[in-house]
Amino acid sequence: MSAESLLVRKIDWGTVLDHIPAWRADQVVRLLNLESLKRDADVSVIVLYNVPSRKLGRKDIVKLYHYMVSEEEAKILALVFPQITINYIRDWKVEKHSPGLPTEIVGKIRCPETTCITNVEREPATPRYIVMREHGVIACEYCDTLLEIERIPDFLRE
Amino acid sequence: MRSPAGGGREGDTPLALKNTIRGRDIISCRDLSRGDAELIFSLTEEVVSGAARLENTLAERKIALIFVEPSTRTFQSFYVAARSLGAEVLSIHDPEVSSIAKGETLYDTMKMIEGYGADCIVLRHPARGAARFAAEVASVPVINAGSGSQEHPTQALLDVFTIKSKLGSVDGIRVGMLGDLRFSRTIPSLCYLLSNYSNVKTYFMAPPLLQVRREIELYLSERGVEYRKVVEVDEIREVMPELDVLYVTRIQKERFPDPTEYEKVKGSYVVDARLLSYGRRELGVMHPLPRVDELSPEVDKLPNAWYFEQARNGLPLRKALLYLILGEAG
Repeated sequence: MSAESLLVRKIDWGTVLDHIPAWRADQVVRLLNLESLKRDADVSVIVLYNVPSRKLGRKDIVKLYHYMVSEEEAKILALVFPQITINYIRDWKVEKHSPGLPTEIVGKIRCPETTCITNVEREPATPRYIVMREHGVIACEYCDTLLEIERIPDFLRE
Repeated sequence: MRSPAGGGREGDTPLALKNTIRGRDIISCRDLSRGDAELIFSLTEEVVSGAARLENTLAERKIALIFVEPSTRTFQSFYVAARSLGAEVLSIHDPEVSSIAKGETLYDTMKMIEGYGADCIVLRHPARGAARFAAEVASVPVINAGSGSQEHPTQALLDVFTIKSKLGSVDGIRVGMLGDLRFSRTIPSLCYLLSNYSNVKTYFMAPPLLQVRREIELYLSERGVEYRKVVEVDEIREVMPELDVLYVTRIQKERFPDPTEYEKVKGSYVVDARLLSYGRRELGVMHPLPRVDELSPEVDKLPNAWYFEQARNGLPLRKALLYLILGEAG
């Protein structure tokens, strides 16, 4: 029996995000905008910090009871946390999901350039990025500003 | 494109090249191919020589000039160009006396101007990305006349047109860019446009704080354009003999977090007769203007001073551009 299963019981339906780097589960919660589910009585979110891991030494886990991460969200998670494991659970059965990487990210990340049109108050310009994975950056499609992929969690929109 | 009534050049075809510009937005020089630029330059040359007379070819067209940031040359040259083409001009030049001062969004301004029947919108705005966003909102062509510190494509077009008319070719040139390369909107556009030409080498001559942004370096690397960063003043003198063109931009004091840093570098980046003495006799000096202290007036009388001619080229080039965007199909 693994360490995390001792802490939290298995779920019958939902998503388990495993192998998140230790102490970065909050970024996953923000990236998925899980707070928006606070009125959904069926959904529970279980966050485990700093769990022992053979692969990473220490890791975080996010269990989403009655919530399936979308393909778009899975792709962004895979981009920001290359070692993450995404498991969909249906009737106790575990399906390991390997999402591709996104080519574009729309709406989730604010532009680090303060003078970008997407940061102008009341202007209905939705931030949009082209992913340039080979250079380790994403590029704002409006203002061309580059953002390092590992810094994406620091620029998540509220 | 047909020979327009009351204008046109002699002969049957005003322009033998296919018009790839018609109906397009001009947002970034990255969107312009060498062929696009050469088309604009061909017609500009004909406007300058008088071979193409485009007067009144855009009668019954409306061109909106929306300038949310100060401008002298760009606004005036677009205004005079549009009027000489016979177009009606709708303009917001002083945002303080328009609804923009009341907090109107760019989105609403675009919708409103389009509602008044504008066939083309020329926009200057302090926000990076403003022109791209405006082009998404408006269904008519948008020309970027400066988007914050991001780009100024029509300035780069007139810059490269000037280089071509002075040197005969742009391929193989060595261009030094000196001053504030980080916050200057003309530098990215110039770099992107020059990357269409073969064997161009650029030298970025600026202190570390004012060096070019990373996206420009990345773009040039991807397109195989050679560039070199030159930081020290001694090094600037060393590379001067290699240059065909020295493109100078204003160093803006307000960009420096520490005023003592500004004091340290400002004198080092002054272009005067002494600095030019390190360069080749034919070296051309360019500046998008306005200048402050970075370009000494003593250079004005030297044959190296190209900047007034460069500024003059703004009018025929913008005239050619407006005609190509809005004129008859070729």
